[in-house]
Amino acid sequence: MAIVQQIKVPLISVNDTSLTVVDILFTHAAKVQKGTIVLVFETSKTTYDVVAEEDGYIAYYCKAGEEYDVNFLVATIYSTASEVPQQLEAGNNNSIHVLTSAPLEVSKTWQGETFFSAAAIALMDVKGTPRSAFAGRDFVGISDVEEMLGIVKIRPSESIVKVEKKSLQPAPNTDVVRLEKLSSNKKIEIAYLSAVQASGLTSTINAWIETEGIFVHINQSLQFLKNSLLPIILYETARLLQKYPALNAYFAGDEIAYYKKVNIGFAIDINKGLKVLTIADTNLKGIGEIENEVIDLSNKYLDDKLHINDLTNIGFTVTDLSGEGVAFFKPLVNMMNSAILGVSSIDKKLQRCMLSLTFDHRVTEGKLAAQFLNELTQRVESYQSKHHPLSNQNIGCFKCFKLLQDDLSNVGFAKCITPKGEEGYICQSCLKGF
Amino acid sequence: MVAQKINHKLIKQALTIRTVEEKFLSLFSEGKLNGTVHTCVGQEFSALAFAGQLKKKDFVFSNHRCHGHYLAFTNDTRGLLAELLGKASGTCGGIGSSQHLCNSNFFSNGIQGGIMPVAAGYALGNKLKKNGAIGLVYIGDGTLGEGSVYETMNIISKWEIPLLVVCENNFYAQSTPQSVNLAGDIQARAAAFGIQTYKGHTSNADELMEDAKAAIEYVREQGKPCFFLVETFRLNPHSKGDDDRPAEEIEQYKEKDFLTIFSKEFPEYYNNYATAIQTEIDLLVENILPETEQPIEAYYEKAVSVNSTSWQPIQAINKRQVELLNGFFKKTIVENEQMLFLGEDILSPYGGAFKVAKDLSVIAPAQVFGTPISESAIAGISNGLALNGFKPFAEIMFGDFITLAFDQIVNHASKFYHMFNKKVSCPVVIRTPMGGKRGYGPTHSQTLDKFLVGIDNVKTVAIHTFFDPAIIFENILLEQHPVIVIENKTDYGKKILHYQAPNFIYERNEDLFPVVKIKPVLAEPTLTIVAYGGMADTVNNMLLAIFLETDCKPELIIPSLISNLPVDLIVQSVLKTKNLLVIEEGSAFAGIGAELIAQVVEQIDVKIKVKRIAAYPVPIPSVKTLEHIVLPEKERIIKEIKAHF
Repeated sequence: MAIVQQIKVPLISVNDTSLTVVDILFTHAAKVQKGTIVLVFETSKTTYDVVAEEDGYIAYYCKAGEEYDVNFLVATIYSTASEVPQQLEAGNNNSIHVLTSAPLEVSKTWQGETFFSAAAIALMDVKGTPRSAFAGRDFVGISDVEEMLGIVKIRPSESIVKVEKKSLQPAPNTDVVRLEKLSSNKKIEIAYLSAVQASGLTSTINAWIETEGIFVHINQSLQFLKNSLLPIILYETARLLQKYPALNAYFAGDEIAYYKKVNIGFAIDINKGLKVLTIADTNLKGIGEIENEVIDLSNKYLDDKLHINDLTNIGFTVTDLSGEGVAFFKPLVNMMNSAILGVSSIDKKLQRCMLSLTFDHRVTEGKLAAQFLNELTQRVESYQSKHHPLSNQNIGCFKCFKLLQDDLSNVGFAKCITPKGEEGYICQSCLKGF
Repeated sequence: MVAQKINHKLIKQALTIRTVEEKFLSLFSEGKLNGTVHTCVGQEFSALAFAGQLKKKDFVFSNHRCHGHYLAFTNDTRGLLAELLGKASGTCGGIGSSQHLCNSNFFSNGIQGGIMPVAAGYALGNKLKKNGAIGLVYIGDGTLGEGSVYETMNIISKWEIPLLVVCENNFYAQSTPQSVNLAGDIQARAAAFGIQTYKGHTSNADELMEDAKAAIEYVREQGKPCFFLVETFRLNPHSKGDDDRPAEEIEQYKEKDFLTIFSKEFPEYYNNYATAIQTEIDLLVENILPETEQPIEAYYEKAVSVNSTSWQPIQAINKRQVELLNGFFKKTIVENEQMLFLGEDILSPYGGAFKVAKDLSVIAPAQVFGTPISESAIAGISNGLALNGFKPFAEIMFGDFITLAFDQIVNHASKFYHMFNKKVSCPVVIRTPMGGKRGYGPTHSQTLDKFLVGIDNVKTVAIHTFFDPAIIFENILLEQHPVIVIENKTDYGKKILHYQAPNFIYERNEDLFPVVKIKPVLAEPTLTIVAYGGMADTVNNMLLAIFLETDCKPELIIPSLISNLPVDLIVQSVLKTKNLLVIEEGSAFAGIGAELIAQVVEQIDVKIKVKRIAAYPVPIPSVKTLEHIVLPEKERIIKEIKAHF
């Protein structure tokens, strides 16, 4: 005669202070066997199966489809059938059940002190994660911080780059080489990048952007980042991602996880480790706003004042090496992303710049990625001065010599080949005839 | 004429003993008898004079050469034949065979000397019961080399225990002549302890019978021990073919042998008796040979232990552990007359080295026995008392000294129940403090638990300061088999659950010897730690530090019954944490950690990380700094966790 298991709503992530019961697998008072799933919760990220720890008879205090606070007692497994109480009245749908309504002894959400391990504190300091983010927890270890930051769980003691036993690579000879331990940041970075690249199923495609005259007007819109394509690329990419959701997603085992929002991250590494900073809701922001955010986040990065929200929930990453004089590079897709865009330096002689898109083949495929890249290229090139109406004061109809700026039809001129075989423009009137 | 004073019933009994033993030798040579036999051919009247003249309520403890004693006391020829033939109908179901017999107050064991204190304990039990029964223990002259003989003679004399010690002197210890190994005088040994002594010879049977009767009466009437030296001669080898004695010496004794003389003086009687007895024994053997042997299921069945998974919170008690122990014994010794308390220096006003026995001898003087420094006898007498229906609690002053009682634990207490085919049980309890951190040095600080948990059929319990130890002792009172309790010197002075690490839940399950679990309030633990005894408190005090410094969220599991570890509970925890650390105060090699890790790994099919932290394999130094380095302490534990997990 005993209660063999009490099933309470678990605290799986600090974001989920309540969970929804999505499946109840037995009827009230049914016999359950050790090891079988008796209940399924849905968290903000995944589902969570609750398994019977012992044989017994289950009493449910919850309904499928309803949401319950963490620590709410949703079921109890008793050793004998006679102990199982009658089924309780289920609450209203869509209501959140709180602790006070628990039918049996329940513990309150932890309100005591939260202890942080030294390793957790070190990581939090690096990431600028506030202690308050973990309110309600008893112990916060490095894995809790990593989980919150969306970092793959690795132990500092685990070697990321393992030399396989059968590897041809011999152990390092310290007479020849000097050994330096990987920093925990570097290990995290490796883990981060390995998550997608390790599958070996990434591919990179490249496209040129013609940059002639591109900054004439872009620079008019920018305050600080003059002669930088980054704000425009972020701006245009954000809008395109709504059309290409597979590139704002990631591979999650048996399923693809699509981000509901467009949060583009941009990579930064100014002597403080490689970081990807988020511009939340990038698709809802103007170029000026994006530029301001890039500046603000970069300052926070330099001042070690990044907040957890500045580093998380990134759906797509842009990495800009245009300041480094590179002609071309292959960017690496970040964990929980399906693609990354690399921006190389502008070739001033040829007036062009390479955009490189690495994508996860498990989530999308080359054709779609190519379409995205082409469309992005066109959008960025559309900022060239020759495409801009205000910059074309000299455009005139080759036939009647009317200037575009004087045209009142609000239709524009058509590009054409003149009888001389040259490129030229023709106005509506001349094209259609009177 | 030898037989004038000896009646023919006795002669037939002597002839039966000889015929049975000669039958054993012939069955052995035919390959029908497993093991060995030690015959007493030539010594039969020693059996008849003492075991044969006792009352049924008396008891006999005998040794490896016990067939004659057995037959003289029980007359159970069939049971003995079947036992040696390995049949289920044997007196011990074929388990004990020649040297390990048990039937109607008759016990024998093949260990030299060890039966002396056990017999003394059994006899002390009779004295306490005031039932008028006395005890008889047979030893040989070879046994005089064993220390426990003298420990026991000292105690039976001092405590006036009604035990008759019969020393059968056949002048050879197996094959070695007495002159090689024995110094001094045999009778003088006993006399030196103030014990009444007698002497006789089997070749002078009628006088031996009378003197034996007188000795038995002395013990019964005086309530005191007696030592009887019986000179005799073994006409057969020690066992079967191992005889290097001079042929003429043997021949000389054969001529003096009672049955030889009787056969010459009364050949008609002798032949009639011999033929009838031989026929009867041959017939018995013929009937027994087709019988079945005991199936293994009847002897051994694997015990499946399931630990309780029902947990209840534990609370602090504002009393020191030693106060609770002393309180339990004070209360129980008054309520339970069967409970006895034995040990060195336990009498008031001292009350034992650690004061667990404080005032017990004032409250229940008849149940408390302050002993000499004789660990073997303390344990052996306790074994005998337990066999006789008492619940003795023996205290060994320091755990290190338990090695002096090892023979009693390993060869007696642990084996009685099985080797006597479950006819008896030995619910003895041996308590002893272990552990260091008191600066007592190499022979007063060691934790020897790993030597104890390896003893089959003895429970070893390590108490701690997480709940009232009375919970454990209440259940030990109910145990029908031997229990060793390891206490911890530094725990005695601590209050129950005197420290609770913040953010941890403290609870225990409902096992008879409860398991304590200390886990984070909310977080899933990432490191399972198992510690027990005094080490449990050390680890409890550093739980928070372990988390802060190593990033591991610890779940501490504290078993009490360390001879049968709560593996299923530990497996449950390890399946979550994938990390298992065992911290023990003894050294690691072949220790509790090794055993636990092996059992856990046998049960799971996932990869886990395991680690043992234990004392360094050197004697515990007395000097404080080194003692703290040799024993597992906070700094080392944290360093090793960091490096390993």
